[in-house]
Amino acid sequence: MKYLRSIISVLLVVVMVFGLSAVGFAQEVELEFFQNKREAVETFDRLIEKFEKENPDINIEQNHVPDAETVLKSRLTRNNIPDIMGLGGNFTYGQIADAGILENFDDASYLTSTQTAYREMLQDLHEGNSNYGIPFTANANTVLYNKDKFDELGLDIPQTWDEFIETAETIQENDGTPFYLTFKDAWTIMVPWNSLAANLQGENFIQRRKDNEVTFKENYKKVAERIYELLDYGQDDVFGFGYSQGNQAFANGESFMYIQGVWAINPILESNPDLNLGAFALSAVNDAAENMLVSGVDTVLTMNKNTDHPEAAEKFIKFLLEEENAQFYIDQQMTFSSVENVFQEDPTVVDLKEYFETGNIAPFPDHYYPSGMQVPNLIQGFLHEGNVEEFLEELDSEWNKVQSR
Amino acid sequence: MKKTSSAFYWMTIPAFILFFVFHTLPALQGIFYSFTDYVGFGDYSFVGFKNFTNLFSDGRALDAYIFTFKFAIVSTILVNILSLLIALGLNSKIKLKNTFRAIYFVPYMLSILVVGYIFNHIFTFIIPEIGRGLGIEILSKNILGNMDLAWIGVVILAVWNSSGFNTLLYLSGLQTVPDELYEVAKIDGAGKWDQFKHITFPLIAPFFTINIVISMRGFLMVFDHIMALTEGGPGRATESITLLIYNGGFMGGEFAYQTANAVIFLLVVLAVSFFQIKVLQKREVSY
Repeated sequence: MKYLRSIISVLLVVVMVFGLSAVGFAQEVELEFFQNKREAVETFDRLIEKFEKENPDINIEQNHVPDAETVLKSRLTRNNIPDIMGLGGNFTYGQIADAGILENFDDASYLTSTQTAYREMLQDLHEGNSNYGIPFTANANTVLYNKDKFDELGLDIPQTWDEFIETAETIQENDGTPFYLTFKDAWTIMVPWNSLAANLQGENFIQRRKDNEVTFKENYKKVAERIYELLDYGQDDVFGFGYSQGNQAFANGESFMYIQGVWAINPILESNPDLNLGAFALSAVNDAAENMLVSGVDTVLTMNKNTDHPEAAEKFIKFLLEEENAQFYIDQQMTFSSVENVFQEDPTVVDLKEYFETGNIAPFPDHYYPSGMQVPNLIQGFLHEGNVEEFLEELDSEWNKVQSR
Repeated sequence: MKKTSSAFYWMTIPAFILFFVFHTLPALQGIFYSFTDYVGFGDYSFVGFKNFTNLFSDGRALDAYIFTFKFAIVSTILVNILSLLIALGLNSKIKLKNTFRAIYFVPYMLSILVVGYIFNHIFTFIIPEIGRGLGIEILSKNILGNMDLAWIGVVILAVWNSSGFNTLLYLSGLQTVPDELYEVAKIDGAGKWDQFKHITFPLIAPFFTINIVISMRGFLMVFDHIMALTEGGPGRATESITLLIYNGGFMGGEFAYQTANAVIFLLVVLAVSFFQIKVLQKREVSY
């Protein structure tokens, strides 16, 4: 008898648990939001909280993992695709778009509320002229500088490449370190590289390289020489330190300048909130009016075209694109918005504003290099060895090799 | 003949099914994809042996093979010398023997990624500090940022991490050597070195074989060490085969091409292990 009673009570518990959860799940739509920016996890969490308050029947689960692109690709091989995605607007995005698994947004009403320049940048990454994602935010490839240290030596923001090098020399003459270079992490080399290449590679370089009309050897000589020149103005052991150590060192005032994008501003201010820093565009050419700021789509919002809940997913994307929410995001993240009429007003990045106003903006060259080339590591090797000719030939031969696969 | 108990089948078949589904099947799938132009998702078509012919003319793959073998051979030798020495020490009658054994085994139990970040810190800050203090030019900079020396940093981490396991195997080997043999040898007037050369080493030869094979195989597959320390840099100086497969296959969108690389690598590792067992077993003795 006792035995029977315990069985019944166990059964009752089981029925209750399942019954309750069935009620709970019946009303809520569960969506996975996969995004690639570690810095943005908290900001997205707050936006999701707001969204869920407005839409109590939708539950958004944010998923951020380190090395998100690689993880996403390996998930795609298993056909396990997140409902909503926030990705970088780069080569990988183009590949995923080409695989035909993303929603086509051509007819979406909210598409036109974003800036054309960034939409075109995304379109150039894949085949055809459709929109497989909505540009949400934009970033900028910059040189960060310590305003207080610049004032001490009476330095101004350099407008040309020659001035840029002169500034570095003046700093060195005054026993300062012009740049803190973090070339142990190969990707950080791409920051100066992109600014130089965007301004010096010539028009339509990637398309013309694809058609075999030009080579790296013909067009990239100046880029290679100039990036090599930077090594003279770094701290001791430029290959010994990585990104996080660089952020720390620049925050502590160990160098006057730090060649990093605007995404580094928040981590730097976190380790030293009192730092008086600013950002300017690396002047890669000697005609100041010609110089372009490298800016790309930092986050492109997109969704799985076969998601179980397309309306709910679209609702979330629309929500993020609302001016108020887009503004909240860029204020938190110190990025720029690709939504019309939403501007970044922070004094730190005020020197970049003229580029956005005049439209002197170029996309990231490396977003169009096939990632199989592993350009960052090639450049890192070149900076060790210093042979320009050999390096440019290697770029061409790697390009050809990857294209032929 | 006695009928085999069905219990033995119940013990082996579930494991076989699991192994087949999670190991053999994906491996066969990989071989299949190596003949296609699959990028990891979406559509694909067959390309025959194109991936393999491209691979043989790929200088980058060759460099990765050279680095991997250089690393694996040096690490295998160092690990085996070191762990044999430690095992000999721990097998003698010393105080706190068990404490030492535990301490030497600790590194093996730690995650390489975690330890890797600690070593990264040591190479970045502590060693250059010591180098500057002693006035040794080469140590005053981060060796992981030096194209010619970065691989040594990886070797140091690998040897430190895996010596504990090999020590354990050697220890169990040493305990199989009967004490009487040493007593006889002592009566015959053999010194410590003679005892090691003529008794200990020949008798633990099977353990030597298994240690060499296991460590060589493990080091050929080196991945997390490099991920934590250099990510294949500077340049491509420390890019191992597994890292190349991972980078090119998942990040570079060359899934099928790098799968072909993985197939070749599988054959190479098999060949190396087989060769080692053949050669080393020939010189094992039994008394």
